[in-house]
Amino acid sequence: MNFNFTEEQLQFKNTVQSFLADECTPDSIRDGWAAKKPFNNDRWNKIADLGVLSSNLPEKDGGFGIDQVALSLMVEEMGYAALPEPVAEQIFLINDLMPLLPDSIKGEIKNTYQTGGNFISVAHPLSPNPLFLNDAAGLLLFEEDSYQFALKEDIDFIPLVSNDPSRELSKLNSIKKSVSSSEEFEKINSAVAARGALMSGCLLIGLAQKMLDLSSLYALDRTQFGKPIGSFQAIKHMLADVAVKIEFARPTVFRAAHSLFENNPKSALHCAHAKYMSAKAAELACKNSIQAHGAMGYTWEMDLHIFMRKAWSLMACWGNEDKQQDIIYKTLTSSEEELGVLYTF
Amino acid sequence: MVTWPKEYGGRGLDLIRWLIFEEEYYRAEAPTRVNQNGVFLLGPTLMEFGTHEQKSKFLNAMATGDHIWSQGWSEPGAGSDMAAIRTTAVLDGDHYKINGQKTWSSRAAYADWTFGLFRTDLESERHRGLSFILVSLDTPGVTVRPIPQLDGEPGFAEIYFDDVIVPRENLLGEDGEGWKIAMATAGFERGLMLRSPARFQQTAAKLLKLYYKNKDQCSPMLQSKVVEAWAESESYALSIYHTASKMLAGGSIGSESSLGKIFWSELDHMMHQTALKILGASAELADSSEHDAAQWIKGFMFSYGGPIYAGTNEIQKNIIAERLLGLPK
Repeated sequence: MNFNFTEEQLQFKNTVQSFLADECTPDSIRDGWAAKKPFNNDRWNKIADLGVLSSNLPEKDGGFGIDQVALSLMVEEMGYAALPEPVAEQIFLINDLMPLLPDSIKGEIKNTYQTGGNFISVAHPLSPNPLFLNDAAGLLLFEEDSYQFALKEDIDFIPLVSNDPSRELSKLNSIKKSVSSSEEFEKINSAVAARGALMSGCLLIGLAQKMLDLSSLYALDRTQFGKPIGSFQAIKHMLADVAVKIEFARPTVFRAAHSLFENNPKSALHCAHAKYMSAKAAELACKNSIQAHGAMGYTWEMDLHIFMRKAWSLMACWGNEDKQQDIIYKTLTSSEEELGVLYTF
Repeated sequence: MVTWPKEYGGRGLDLIRWLIFEEEYYRAEAPTRVNQNGVFLLGPTLMEFGTHEQKSKFLNAMATGDHIWSQGWSEPGAGSDMAAIRTTAVLDGDHYKINGQKTWSSRAAYADWTFGLFRTDLESERHRGLSFILVSLDTPGVTVRPIPQLDGEPGFAEIYFDDVIVPRENLLGEDGEGWKIAMATAGFERGLMLRSPARFQQTAAKLLKLYYKNKDQCSPMLQSKVVEAWAESESYALSIYHTASKMLAGGSIGSESSLGKIFWSELDHMMHQTALKILGASAELADSSEHDAAQWIKGFMFSYGGPIYAGTNEIQKNIIAERLLGLPK
């Protein structure tokens, strides 16, 4: 077992990290909020040009064929920058799911989807209000016992307001025309739920890390009683608690990604574990970061809430902590096999 | 000793194989190792700082269990503030003369040797002028007084030194370098070596079984604690595998070991607390074998020690804030 990342995996991460540091600043996100157009077409095109949107497609389809571990590293960076565009959704919920879909649906998606040129939105009972449907070419919709693909023009929907102005949501009214299937529903439904859990987990790790970094900087800068507030143990311990939570959530994300890569039969459990741990880390990061910022943390002016709002949304969708807990409990108690110290290696 | 070189009584295997050994050890429910202070703390320190003679003399005897080791860090006036150590070791020709007192010395009640920090430069202050010295507890002038613990066991002890003569070759590293060497040892203690993940995974598995068997008699709210126990012990294991991979690739373990120490000690306590809640009124039956109540109670009391020993969790949080988050002293 080797938990070190390969050079190639780290290269993808670093590319995304430095691109977003320049192109996805808090100011640029605020510009999108002010214009009520959080989806930035220019940034989206640049991300497509970087090859990120097709990074996990097979080489024969013009991609780099990178694995889910590299995707997780990249998506963590998208969380760190609070990237509004649905890049993580495309690579995890469309590209990575495609090989599992039946030909009827896959064919329709392939006819519509031009990686980078447009994108497909996704809705599922765990995340029922699709993101940026207005800008999408189509929708992959999961229901209780079937799934379907519809072109945007065949969908009747109305806008919903998210607590995170970076997320443009829609409520679906009706679908006039679609291709529907229930082939291997259990398997495909579980696969998309697992990917949704892992994707939101990766983003939450990045968001939690960003909130911790912002709070550490603020605690160094802000002076009270003649000293930086970061020199007081009350602040130190609060932020150290967040660092502990992040440290022990991060490896669960990479294990879940690796588990998908090797088609591990326990990948649904591992993805649930990753979301559970990262949601808890992000929850504490929100609570302690706003506290470390004091009243400034409660203002619109401070950038902290850009990251907090996204974290709150992602904690809630694709199965919150309690939903993941149910999945974990059911999985652990459904098999007769020995629990605990398993044959890990 | 799985990872120790063969010439010192080990198997010469890598860290991943050590983790496999640990899994099997806990799966078999093997007992706590009496020499763990020696094997997991002094062993790696000797490997890094010891002379060839010191390694041959001490490592083999440790591996065979002929020398049982205790640790001598804390003093009545030096607990969390370890740099306040006052016990002196004065060099006089080919030996040191030691005077003073150590306390909370784990396993000293039945150990043969102790290792610890002593002030060799009497003019020095704080962490300067300290040296890392190995002392046989048979030496004249040494008095060991066991301290009964919360669980009734004589685990730790006070050690009094009254003109104790120790040969100069028992100095580890250079005179005055003790703090640096002790910090390396403390890193092993908090981090990888002492708390192998299998221990917590095994406890989490037992807890899950305990809940499953008794779920009709206890609150369904406890289910979330049981899942938390599984999730956190699994996360701890993954994090340790990550650290082991990093070390195998030539990296080293630093102040991030403080993160782990807080995590496993809080986890261990939470798991035992949850077990006692599942046990209901049986949770006070100290000799009951039903549902292993006695064992859970013992473990519960022991788990209160975790956040205190090896550097209290409050000290660990200061280390994290200052060294990892860059906050000022």
